[in-house]
Amino acid sequence: MTTELNRRDFLKGSAATGVGMTLWFTLGDGVGRAASASAFDPDASMTITPDGLVTVHITKSEMGQGVGTALAQILAEELEADWKDIRVDYPTSDPKYGLMLTGGSWSVNWTFDTLSRAGAAARLALVDAAAQYWKVPAEECVAARSMVRHLPTGRSISYGEIVAKAPITRKFSEDDLKKLVLKKPSEYRVVGQWIQRLDIPEKTNGRAKFGIDSFVPGMVYAKTAYPPTREGGKHTAVDDTAAKKVKGWLKTIVNDQLVAVVATSYESAVKARDALKITWAPGPNAGVSSESIFRDFAAKAKDGAGAIEWHKGGDGAAAFAQAARVHQASYTTDYVAHMQMEPMNCVARFEGGVYDLYTGSQFQTLAMGTLAAVLKTDQKNIRIHQHYLGGGFGRRLDPDIILEAAIIAREAGRPIKLIRSREEDLRRDFYRSATLQTLRGGLDTSGKVAAWDNVIVATHPGNRWGPDFVDKQGLDQFALNGADHVYSVANQSVRAIRMETGISVGYVRAVAPNYTFFAVESFVDELADLTKTDPLAFRLSMLGDAPRLANVLRLAAERAGWGTPLPANVGRGLACVSAQEKKSPTWTASVVQARVDPATGQVRVEKIICAVDCGIVVNPDGVRSQVEGSLLFGLSNALKERGTVANGALVQSNFHDYQVLRMNDVPDVVEVHVVPSTEYPTGVGEPGATTIAPALANAIFAATGARVRGVPLIAERVLQAIKDKA
Amino acid sequence: MATLLVNGKSQTVDVSPDTPLLWAIREHLKLTGTKFGCGVAQCGACTVHLDGTAVRSCQTTIAQAAGKKITTIEGLHPQGRHPLQLAWIAEQVPQCGYCQSGQIMQAASLLAKTPKPTDDEIVAAMSGNICRCATYVRIKRAIKRAAGV
Repeated sequence: MTTELNRRDFLKGSAATGVGMTLWFTLGDGVGRAASASAFDPDASMTITPDGLVTVHITKSEMGQGVGTALAQILAEELEADWKDIRVDYPTSDPKYGLMLTGGSWSVNWTFDTLSRAGAAARLALVDAAAQYWKVPAEECVAARSMVRHLPTGRSISYGEIVAKAPITRKFSEDDLKKLVLKKPSEYRVVGQWIQRLDIPEKTNGRAKFGIDSFVPGMVYAKTAYPPTREGGKHTAVDDTAAKKVKGWLKTIVNDQLVAVVATSYESAVKARDALKITWAPGPNAGVSSESIFRDFAAKAKDGAGAIEWHKGGDGAAAFAQAARVHQASYTTDYVAHMQMEPMNCVARFEGGVYDLYTGSQFQTLAMGTLAAVLKTDQKNIRIHQHYLGGGFGRRLDPDIILEAAIIAREAGRPIKLIRSREEDLRRDFYRSATLQTLRGGLDTSGKVAAWDNVIVATHPGNRWGPDFVDKQGLDQFALNGADHVYSVANQSVRAIRMETGISVGYVRAVAPNYTFFAVESFVDELADLTKTDPLAFRLSMLGDAPRLANVLRLAAERAGWGTPLPANVGRGLACVSAQEKKSPTWTASVVQARVDPATGQVRVEKIICAVDCGIVVNPDGVRSQVEGSLLFGLSNALKERGTVANGALVQSNFHDYQVLRMNDVPDVVEVHVVPSTEYPTGVGEPGATTIAPALANAIFAATGARVRGVPLIAERVLQAIKDKA
Repeated sequence: MATLLVNGKSQTVDVSPDTPLLWAIREHLKLTGTKFGCGVAQCGACTVHLDGTAVRSCQTTIAQAAGKKITTIEGLHPQGRHPLQLAWIAEQVPQCGYCQSGQIMQAASLLAKTPKPTDDEIVAAMSGNICRCATYVRIKRAIKRAAGV
């Protein structure tokens, strides 16, 4: 049993004594980097029990990024807790936690200050309680390794004993919290340590519980029948005569929102669902294809009508008019699917007016709000029981499966487990938008970039979620980030053309910077080539305002042996980025070394050398692991992943035709160099991914002289570029 | 009704003979360490051993599995301390972790037949198992650590 206390009556002594104390702080939006979606950031909270264990309540989602361990390290540092006493849990959704959102490589960046202060305040409260218990001045006491020691007498008491025996009375106002003096990085003993991740052992023995591993008493299985088009399709008639004959069939649900069957087992639910005879009205998007989408994109880009200015510096028109030379190039990227290994699923129970949802969510706040609105209930009746996420990558930001399961459970009148097949998962995904980016650069007589313009045609995901997720002009910054690069170009503009295509888009790991930096960093190489300048030197000449980026760029180049000779058909390319966002950048640079077969266009990546400056490193191996993974995720996107559209839906259906990176595609060398730093920490889950497509396109150019302007950089495109050059 | 020998225990399951072994293991026997990923033997998340050899349980029917020794991740080692499991922790392999039961079962099958695999043998054996977090560098390192090569 624990007692929860909010900041205003922090540590109510009597209530906390003996039963464990839960500390719960709210610090507004913490470090002020909250998404535009909301004005508040999650609480930092912990429970200390008389047995001495400190349970850190992680309101961020654990999807492989090691967030539980990293956030606990931050808190443990200031708490002066012994690491062996630290546990973590992932609490059930509750509005009291504020914004429950995990993404954007934000977690450490958003919570480092808040959790540090939470830990420090709790330590001070424990020291005060111990001092009062001993009737000595608090100034004579210090905390270390989960103990408070009285210096003059040498006696000590553990945190657990304090909780059990001593009233804890000290309170902290928001101002008090802000005034706390935190440790200097040189004093860290937990942050920055090579600490093993807490979630790993149970991920090697089958005990880790993902959403799909949930069971509740009385649970049966559901399968939904989905329309043939991604958007706009609807059932007009449903005949379940044959479905009813399937052994295990329990119920067919047909309402305005969905068609589903409920059965006693997964396999019988599949059979019964497949036996439904459904007439579909495919809706207005039945004719949509990749060809029609890119044709529409090109038409819009050509006349530039409706382009909205998103980022501007200087006077582009005048600078272009005066330019000695103007270069223009267009880049495309195809749809990308999440393909997280755990297909979307949810166990749902509706009982006594309350919906209990068992799943893994990246955005519980959105799920609670959406479900409350659609199901016409209060948010307090929506409880999302958090599990490990079998991959998030942005897919689990959307609450579609949770809502679907909740509706079915309500209609079924009993708990259900809903699991999408891989085919359903892929066809009902929210893809990374296809894009067309047209860049124009104006060079002055000395070869300096004097003017820059980028027009980005894409679908903006935020529009789907509502007005809180776009700016006043209707633009979603997460569809454009990265295009506002940090190179010193006096006159630059980024303009956006928003398109709706009938294909749902969302946020896929590394999000917009994955395509914006492909265009920016490819184009910078093209300009370097035009001016006959080395791509490294060309970039460094424009990085006067971003010394930390220049530093990682130099480091990656040096470690990759930039400029040293290579065999024929092998090239090196580089890219440097300020991802994930310009205001919280992790300075990242990569050199990719690739071999191209000029006869086939086949590309083999031999080496990836990456340098990263993410400020303070909380968990060194965690950073390394995330950067390695993000680089290879980027390689998968860059080399293989191509979602194409026909008849209003994705053509691909499973891993056989939507190919992702496998072990035989992995380069022999994947090197990550992390720059030591005492700057405020930023995130590492995504930035590395954004460097790979441009660095690889630049490597292909270095190897062959052929410029490939479409991602993925598939053999057919490479071969075409080689032919075009000849 | 079918009788299956799972992790040394004989278990009766109420499923039809054409049911994929995966669903019997996961949803009927609740041994959830074995994962559903693709349903078409393209990802390897559902890998278990049938008489010691790695198979995709999503493409193995109950009829095919009956009478054979089925080993899941839960039965690989009684305390979860198979050399591969220890190596997986030492190398801090898993990220999201969802594919890792399948990866470990695939690697265990490899090492049972080829105790000292070359890099090429590791890549050949493991390329049917997808890890979307792309922990491949560490998977390879952990296999080599466990094999002592």
